Amino acid sequence: MKIITYDMLKSFGLTALVVFSLISCDTILNVDPRQSIDGFDALNTPENMEAALNSPYARLRSVSAYGRNLTAFGDALADNGLATNNSGRIFNEARNQPYFHYTHWTNFYFGINELNLFLEAIPGIQSVPAVSQTTKNRWEGEAKFLRALFYFDLVKAYAYLPGVTVPELDKGGIPLVLEGVKTSDIEKALNRQTARSSVEQVYLQIYSDLEDAIRLLNDSRGVQFASQTASKALLSRVALYNRDWEKAVDLSSEVLASARGKLLEGEDYVAGWRMSVHPESIFDLRFENASESNGVNESIQATYTTIRNLENTDQVGGWGDFIPNPVFVNLMGISVTGTGASLAITNRGNDVRAFQYEVGLGRVANGSGRRMECIKFASKSGFAFGDNIPVIRKSEMLLNRMEAYFHLGKEDLALADLNTMKNARGLGNVLFEGEALLAEILLERRKELAFEGHRFFDLKRYGRDIIKQQGNIPFTDFRILANIPQAEVDGNKNLDQNAGY
Amino acid sequence: MRKILLIKSILVLIFSAAFAQDRIVSGTVISAEDGFPMPGVTVMVKGTMIGTATDLDGNYSLSIPETNNVLVFRFVGSVFQETLVDSRSRINISLKPDTKSLEEFVVTGYSIQPKREITGAVSSVKGELIENLPMQSFDRALQGRAAGVHVSSANGLPGGAVNIRIRGTGSINAGNEPLYIVDGVQINTRDDATFTQSNPLAFLNTNDIESIEILKDAASAAIYGSQAANGVVIITTKKGKQGKARFNFNVFGGNSQPLKILDVYNSQDWYQLRKEAWTNTGSPIAEANTLNNMGILPSNWQSLSREQLDAVAADLSSYDWQRQMIGSGRIQNYELSISGGDDRTLFRISGSYNYQESTFRPVDFERGTLSLALSHQANPRLRIENNLNISTFGQNIPFATSGSFLGNPAFTSSLILPHNAIYNEDGSFNTNIAGVFNQNIAMVNAYNSGSQRTNTMVGSLAANYQILENLTFRSMVGLDYRIVQGDQFRDPRTPDGAGIRGRASVQSNWNVNFITTQTLNWFKTFALDHTLSILGGMEYRSETNEGLTGAAIGFPSYEFRTIQSGATPETISGFWSGYRRIGSFTSVNYDFRKKYMLTLTGRYDGSSRFGMDTQFGFFPSVRVGWVLKEESFLRDSEVVSELKIRASYGRTGNDQIGNFSARGFYGAAGNYAGAGGIRPIGLENRNLSWEINQSANFGLDFGLVSNKIIGSLDIFHRTSKNLLLDLPVIATNGFTSVTSNVGELVNKGIELEFTSINIERGSFKWSTSFNYTYIENEITKLYGGNMFLPSDPSIAVGHSVGTHFTQRYAGVNPATGRSMWYDVNGNITYQPVAADRVYLGNSLPSHFGGFQNAFYFKGFEAIVFFNYEYGRVIADGQYNFLRENGTRLTTNALREVADRRWTTPGQITDIPRPYAGGPEVRSVNMNTGSAALLKADYIRLKQLTLAYNFKPELIRGLGLATVRVFAQGINLWTYTDFPGYDPEFLGAATGIIPQTKNYTLGIQAGF
Repeated sequence: MKIITYDMLKSFGLTALVVFSLISCDTILNVDPRQSIDGFDALNTPENMEAALNSPYARLRSVSAYGRNLTAFGDALADNGLATNNSGRIFNEARNQPYFHYTHWTNFYFGINELNLFLEAIPGIQSVPAVSQTTKNRWEGEAKFLRALFYFDLVKAYAYLPGVTVPELDKGGIPLVLEGVKTSDIEKALNRQTARSSVEQVYLQIYSDLEDAIRLLNDSRGVQFASQTASKALLSRVALYNRDWEKAVDLSSEVLASARGKLLEGEDYVAGWRMSVHPESIFDLRFENASESNGVNESIQATYTTIRNLENTDQVGGWGDFIPNPVFVNLMGISVTGTGASLAITNRGNDVRAFQYEVGLGRVANGSGRRMECIKFASKSGFAFGDNIPVIRKSEMLLNRMEAYFHLGKEDLALADLNTMKNARGLGNVLFEGEALLAEILLERRKELAFEGHRFFDLKRYGRDIIKQQGNIPFTDFRILANIPQAEVDGNKNLDQNAGY
Repeated sequence: MRKILLIKSILVLIFSAAFAQDRIVSGTVISAEDGFPMPGVTVMVKGTMIGTATDLDGNYSLSIPETNNVLVFRFVGSVFQETLVDSRSRINISLKPDTKSLEEFVVTGYSIQPKREITGAVSSVKGELIENLPMQSFDRALQGRAAGVHVSSANGLPGGAVNIRIRGTGSINAGNEPLYIVDGVQINTRDDATFTQSNPLAFLNTNDIESIEILKDAASAAIYGSQAANGVVIITTKKGKQGKARFNFNVFGGNSQPLKILDVYNSQDWYQLRKEAWTNTGSPIAEANTLNNMGILPSNWQSLSREQLDAVAADLSSYDWQRQMIGSGRIQNYELSISGGDDRTLFRISGSYNYQESTFRPVDFERGTLSLALSHQANPRLRIENNLNISTFGQNIPFATSGSFLGNPAFTSSLILPHNAIYNEDGSFNTNIAGVFNQNIAMVNAYNSGSQRTNTMVGSLAANYQILENLTFRSMVGLDYRIVQGDQFRDPRTPDGAGIRGRASVQSNWNVNFITTQTLNWFKTFALDHTLSILGGMEYRSETNEGLTGAAIGFPSYEFRTIQSGATPETISGFWSGYRRIGSFTSVNYDFRKKYMLTLTGRYDGSSRFGMDTQFGFFPSVRVGWVLKEESFLRDSEVVSELKIRASYGRTGNDQIGNFSARGFYGAAGNYAGAGGIRPIGLENRNLSWEINQSANFGLDFGLVSNKIIGSLDIFHRTSKNLLLDLPVIATNGFTSVTSNVGELVNKGIELEFTSINIERGSFKWSTSFNYTYIENEITKLYGGNMFLPSDPSIAVGHSVGTHFTQRYAGVNPATGRSMWYDVNGNITYQPVAADRVYLGNSLPSHFGGFQNAFYFKGFEAIVFFNYEYGRVIADGQYNFLRENGTRLTTNALREVADRRWTTPGQITDIPRPYAGGPEVRSVNMNTGSAALLKADYIRLKQLTLAYNFKPELIRGLGLATVRVFAQGINLWTYTDFPGYDPEFLGAATGIIPQTKNYTLGIQAGF
């Protein structure tokens, strides 16, 4: 009897298989998914390009981005509010515990990769009829606006702001990746290890992207999309952060002069926060339907208020995890009486912005009675927990400009803008000069943009300590910077973790 | 096998033997096993060639010469019997099955082999062993029945998930499920239900199973190639038996009871505990704070004394939410089977109805099955076989199958504060519930609804064609078709439905799994001593799975509960997925005088799941056996009745990864402003391939003292290579991870199975079966020189899968009552950090098995079956919440734990002093690290059965052949130190429905 070897068996198998293959088709093991398409040629039609451009916008909706953290943490990490511990969420951020900080790193770098792939695909698009140059310009413009927004939000959270740093803790900017990794490029995915660029390099890139966007875009699409004016408005903010006062003035002025967004006054301002799309919006993040909501636990509405909606103020909805603190309530000119069940507002003063704060229902069962809550986001889109979020509002342009004027020594213009702002909010004219004027400008900014994610960076821009009841955070504390996800540092030998983590 | 022999004996032995002057003796032969008449039994007059065979009704009639007086009854597989005729003219005989014979047949890969020729590690569980158990799926019934096979229930949901690990956990990220084959059809076992767990294996009525074979070593399983790394479970359903149609009617009913009700604090004890917690924070108004937590602080509290506040609590009633939510459930089962056939056609048809309620209303399981087995010998060369199992089962769903949802009764009932009334005085639900568990779960449970349905058809058609005397071709096509549907309604009167004014969700899921197998069998015996048989075959399997889901919100009122009444569609989604597999295989068997045996197998297998460059692989095996009993030095041994040693080595693959894990795609995601979005999902890995399992097995089968003791011992070493692990990709490169073949782990162990007949005297018999498994798991290699996975440091080289990697608890400081842990240097710390984590304990059991005693006496039977586990260390999420003693959240506490709390300096205990609001200042959660790890060792009286089989003579008058009455108890008693509901569960145990005790009474009648 012959000895049967491994090879013989293997060849038997092979032969049998060949026989079988003859009677079946040769593509028997090719099974393609139906809800996905192959990555290498996905961006080859105008339709797919449009769809691929929607995804980065959608990333802005996530909890780590404007859906919650980028809207709420600017206040939670700073001094406007306190956490109720109703659900336990944002409790540690409000106490500035180490590791409880911004978390949009992964989400935004994924978005940047998508945008890089998208930008690389634009020149190669072949279709009949050919894609117009107008469309290509719009694609490039929107993608660059979004890339600039992603980089700006990353660099402001994970690095010091230009010119205001703690040298012994400063590890530079963030990795600047401008080349996409394709789904087929496993080598690049596993081996590319990008180091941090300097803060200056990152800002140069943001400037460059936004200037391209301003050149390529117009305002023909809705306020929920990138536009020329939105690009100018973002650049105005970037310039302000970059202490580039001239540019901040120029761009704010251009935006203020544009038809996009309307600076509201008095009652209109109060009503503006009840409208699905805020009339002041220059760029308004859209939550189209209930399936896009971040839900009863993590949406910005649920985070800020326990009120279900303003038609049913006696029905409990969200958690009200993060609320204005007494110092801030007082600052808004609101007077209250009683505590818990008996808490009531006795007077709101003249500042119409005070109407964005209301006695909530609390979560009695969780130990929190009725508290003052922010109602800027209270089902204004018509369904629960899905408020559209104004990422840039027109009034910010006025605030940007008055601050930039001040630094340019144009105190009269700064004061004029300040009084325009105050008048629009139901307040009379004021007269300040020097540091007192700057202080009033920043106070106005704090009041106007409260619970929209700005306060932490407005303190960081000036290197100021955070003074809060839960414990002060000196500007020199490592907790001013967010921690980079540890897996990023583990997987990238060129990337330094922020100090202290 | 038995039937073919039977046909032959009828043909050979039917001849007339009429002698003059002879006596005529007639009678009936029945089986002692099941009481049915036995056709084809040879009846001979001893010492003559005179004989006959029984007819289809087991009747015979024979003329006996004057000079002879002894009749001999013979039947294959039965003990032969002699009887004196004397003056009797009617002799009824009941033949006992020949239990001593090791000539038992075992279904293995694509063939059937006599057990004595098996050279791999195969465990066999006969259908009767798991008959009539009130369990919805046979996988659950396998617990403790076979060495090397670890079975644990995920929870106590009727029809819920069951976890089977054959020879350990071989994979970290890919699946660990064995391949299940029912009558040649490879079954898909993925649970597609959204709203509860619907174990796909529950489609089969356990009583329709003839036998279950478990291929444990890679060599036995290798013929199944890339799907066989986790072992293969082969289920053979019952088939028809030749003879007059036999009816078997079976009914049992009973109820299920909770294994345990946890002893939690009453209102006064909780008040005291919480007051202490506030006092420990330094609060000067501990009484008021506590009453405030309970939602009963009088508004004039500032004017009340401490004693007056205490008096408020002293007057409170306590309500037993557990007993409100946990009750007993009904069990019912009815089935009827009919089987029979003639020499050409055999059939068996059976139908069953099964109903079981869990201890949590309204969770239940209701199933109807229809099973048909048909075979027909069309001509001497061609036999057609058909098996069809059709089944539908419906389940009323729980709020959640697990998890810390406030509305989940299984989670909340033990944790809700006990002073909360369930009903108001007017009988309506109390909705003013204080504490963090602020939902009235009785109301939530009563108002929400939902159901899940699984319809399954598993069927096959096969043709066997005998080309030559020794060459057979078999062609089989099979289908495993399943539809899973579900709906769920969150009532707008409940907190989860209120904000959205009700939510209805629906799902539909189709699974089509097609298989065809073509095999060719050839055998030849050379020079009488050498037997060679060769099997070759090809197989193709394709599976598609698609589904639709939707949800709507905004219902007019709670009376409108179906999705079309919702004002706003919330989500609508669907998916499609599929894969294909193709393989060819061969098996070569050689034996020399049934003494030395050699088997070589090989399979060349391809799967669409893998990378373009690695879709095909080769899976060989070799097995050898040596029957020592056949050697001259043992042939005449009185003590050793059987002895065989065997060794095997083989390679199998594990392809249980996503259907498209190897591919790089853009998928639909990121819709914005009403328009669809797409984004990259996953990196392509062209080299992605199966995990390879290589296992060596050495075994011994023995029989002692005329096979009064039989058993086997196996030692195995199973290496899993090329483990599918996710290599992390940094976010700046745009992806999370890519699945790659890296890593290696080893399972090794010992398995022992034996059965002994301890006493067999007269009509009394006592037998014992025992099985034991010891298993060790060790990760031996990860990628890139990593000693642990960055994403999960508990996966570490040198440690078992399932190891706990956490900080070691040091108990409570006797001076202060604060929890302490050990830091990395072994010093006491109050704030352990990540760096202090060490490897502690293992959530996989290292020792487990089963132990059965059976007693038979004059028709009475008692079966006592235990299963046991040792060495498992786990965290129980439900217990963890209770263990916090209501410090972090206002939740109830376990009496046993809370009574141990530190109260006085010098007290030595493991439970810290309570501290309102969570961990003490500069401390961490009291459950951190190993503080809340529990030993889950147990011995459980899994099954106790008492039965009586009526004597056939007594019931024949009623037209019945067999009547058996039985009483059965499941999970009646558990020996364990485990403080939670049940040591047996998977996952976190938070809010799962625990297993139940079941009591049933039944009657089984054959006619």
